[in-house]
Amino acid sequence: MMNIKNIHAKIGEKAILKGLNLELEKGKIHVIMGPNGSGKSTLSKAIVGHYDVDVTEGEILYKGQNILETTPEERALSGIFLSFQNPVEIPGVNNTYFLRTALNEKEKNEGKKETNAAQFLKLMRQHVEQLGMKPDMISRALNDGFSGGEKKRNEILQMEILQPDVIILDEIDSGLDIDALKAVSEGINRMKNGERTFLVITHYSRILDYIHPDYIHVLQDGQIIKTGGPELVKTLEAEGYQAIKKDL
Amino acid sequence: MQAITLELADAKHPLYERLSSLGLPANKTEHYKHFAIKALLEQKYTLNMPKVSTPSEGEKLVIQNGVVTEFPKGVKLSFKDDFAVDIEHYDALYFLSHALTPVVIYVEVLKDAVFELEHEFTQEQTFLPYRICIKTAANTRVEVFEKFQTQGSEKSLLLYGVDAEVSADSTLCWIRDENTLDEDAAVIGTHHYDIAKQGALELKTFDFGSGLALHLYKIDLSDYAWTDASHLVLATEKARRGNVVFINHNRPYAKSVQEARTILKDEATGIFDGRIRVDHEARFSNAKQNSKAVLLSEIASMYAKPQLEIYIDELEASHGSTIGELDIDALFYLRSRGITLDEAKKMLVLAFADILIDTVGNEEAVKNIHADFEATYYK
Repeated sequence: MMNIKNIHAKIGEKAILKGLNLELEKGKIHVIMGPNGSGKSTLSKAIVGHYDVDVTEGEILYKGQNILETTPEERALSGIFLSFQNPVEIPGVNNTYFLRTALNEKEKNEGKKETNAAQFLKLMRQHVEQLGMKPDMISRALNDGFSGGEKKRNEILQMEILQPDVIILDEIDSGLDIDALKAVSEGINRMKNGERTFLVITHYSRILDYIHPDYIHVLQDGQIIKTGGPELVKTLEAEGYQAIKKDL
Repeated sequence: MQAITLELADAKHPLYERLSSLGLPANKTEHYKHFAIKALLEQKYTLNMPKVSTPSEGEKLVIQNGVVTEFPKGVKLSFKDDFAVDIEHYDALYFLSHALTPVVIYVEVLKDAVFELEHEFTQEQTFLPYRICIKTAANTRVEVFEKFQTQGSEKSLLLYGVDAEVSADSTLCWIRDENTLDEDAAVIGTHHYDIAKQGALELKTFDFGSGLALHLYKIDLSDYAWTDASHLVLATEKARRGNVVFINHNRPYAKSVQEARTILKDEATGIFDGRIRVDHEARFSNAKQNSKAVLLSEIASMYAKPQLEIYIDELEASHGSTIGELDIDALFYLRSRGITLDEAKKMLVLAFADILIDTVGNEEAVKNIHADFEATYYK
C-alpha cells in the first residue's frame, strides 16, 4: 500500500529520521510506539508533506509514485489523511463550508459529481450524530474554541466524510476521556473495510483495546527498531523501550 | 486646468484662512505621506464644478458627475450656500473641497429612512469636487448605502466629502461599498460626522480596488454618543488605499469602537492612521481601536498608526495593531484536506474579511460586498 524507504529527515538543522524503513500493508492497522522525541510525529508530517520537515534522502512510494515530489493537497487527494495531534483553530472558516470544499475537491479529482449543499448537510448531520458531537459543530468555525475532545472528534468526522485510503492518526487518543475515546475508536472501526490502511501513533495501549492492531512498530532515534504483533505492546508496557533490542 | 495650486493671500473667510494655514498636502504631509498625493495634485485635469440641478424624486440619491439627478422620497433636498464648515478639521482638502463647492448638496432626513447614495463618476482626466451634507432629525434611524460607479474616469480625481449632523438620540448607519477597479482613477473623501447627545454613528466602509483611494474622517462625539467605525480595505496591484480617522470624545460617557482590517496583494500599500482623542471633559469614556493587516505578497506594504490621545484618568481604552502574513499552519491544515493553495488562501482571506462584512445587517448589501470583494481579489 505504502512503502517508506530509507527516509532521512530533519527539522531545522536537527536530524530526526535516520534511514527509516516501513512498509504499510493494505487493509492493516499499523501502530507506531516510541519514546518522546523518537520521530513519530516527524514521520507523519513527512508523509503528508508538512513544511516543517525537510526530507533529505529516501522515498515514499504510494500508488506507483514517490509522493515526496507532490504537494500536500496532491497527497491528500491521492487518499492520504493525517489526523493532527493538535488541530489548528481557524476562526471565520465555517466547519461545514470547509469540509464540503474538501469533499468537492476530492470528487472533482476523481471525476465524480459534486455533492450539493443539501446532500452534504444531511451527510454531515448523520456523522455528527454518530460521533456524539454537538449539533452546533456544523455552524461553528473550524476547531475554533473547540475542547481537546471536540477537536479529535472533528478529525474523525473529516476522516469519515473524506473516506481516505491511508489514515494516519497522530496521538488521536491523547487528552480524551473514556466516552470520547470510545466514540473516536468506533469511528475508526467504522472505517475498517479490509482495504484501508491505518498508521496509528500512540503512547498508550488503551486505544489498542478498541481498534485491534495488526502490527506494532517501535520507533527509536529515527529508525524502526522492532516490528511485532499486538503482543509486543505487553512487552513494552512491562519492560519499557530500553529493553527492546533492535531487529537485525 | 493646470495642476492644482493655492492662491489665497487675500482671502479673509475662516475657511480660506484655515486652508491657507494648512497649505495643500504634499508627500511629507502626515496623513498623505503614503498616498502619493503630490503626483495626483500635479496632474492636469479639466475642472468640473458641481452644478445646482432640479432632480427628480425616486428611490435613491444619485450624483452623476457632480449633478444630483435623483433624490429619495422622504428626504428634503436642497442646495445651500451658507453651510458652516467644521473649522477645526485637520485636513486641508476638506477645506479645499468646501472652497471649490460653495453650494453643497443638503439632505435633511426627518423620519426613519433607508436609501442608497450612488456616485457616478465617468469623466476622463477630470477634477470633480462636491460635498454632501446630511442632517438627521432627533429620534430617527437613517441607513445610507453608498456606492460608486467610476468606469471611464481614467486619470481623474474625485474630491468629495460628507458633513453629517446626527441629532440627539438618532442613529446614522453609513455603509460604503467602494469597488473601484480603475487603476488611474483616484478618490479622496474628506468627512466630518458630528454626533449629538446620545446619538450614534455606525460607519462601515468596504474599500476594494487597484487605484488610489483615501478617506479622511473627523468624528465628534458628544455626551453618551457612540460610534462603531469599521474599515475593510482590499488593495491590489499598485493601489494605495486606506483611511485616516480621528475620533474626538468631547463629552462624558462617549464610546467608540474602531476596527480596521486591511488585505494587501501585489505591490499595494495600505494606510490606517487612526487617532482617538479623549478630551478633558470626556470622563467615563470608552475607546477601543484595533488595526489588523494581512500581506499577501512580499512587496506589499502597510502603514498603520494607531493612536490614543488621552487627557483624563476616568476611562477604559485600548488599542493594538498587527501586520502579518496568512497563518502558515492554517494554510497547511486546509491543504492537507485536499484544498488547493489558492483556494486555501482565499478561504483564510475571506474569513479575515468576513469578521467585518458579516456585521452589515442587510443581506443584499452583504451579498453585494462579497461579490465586489471577490471581483477585486480575482482581478
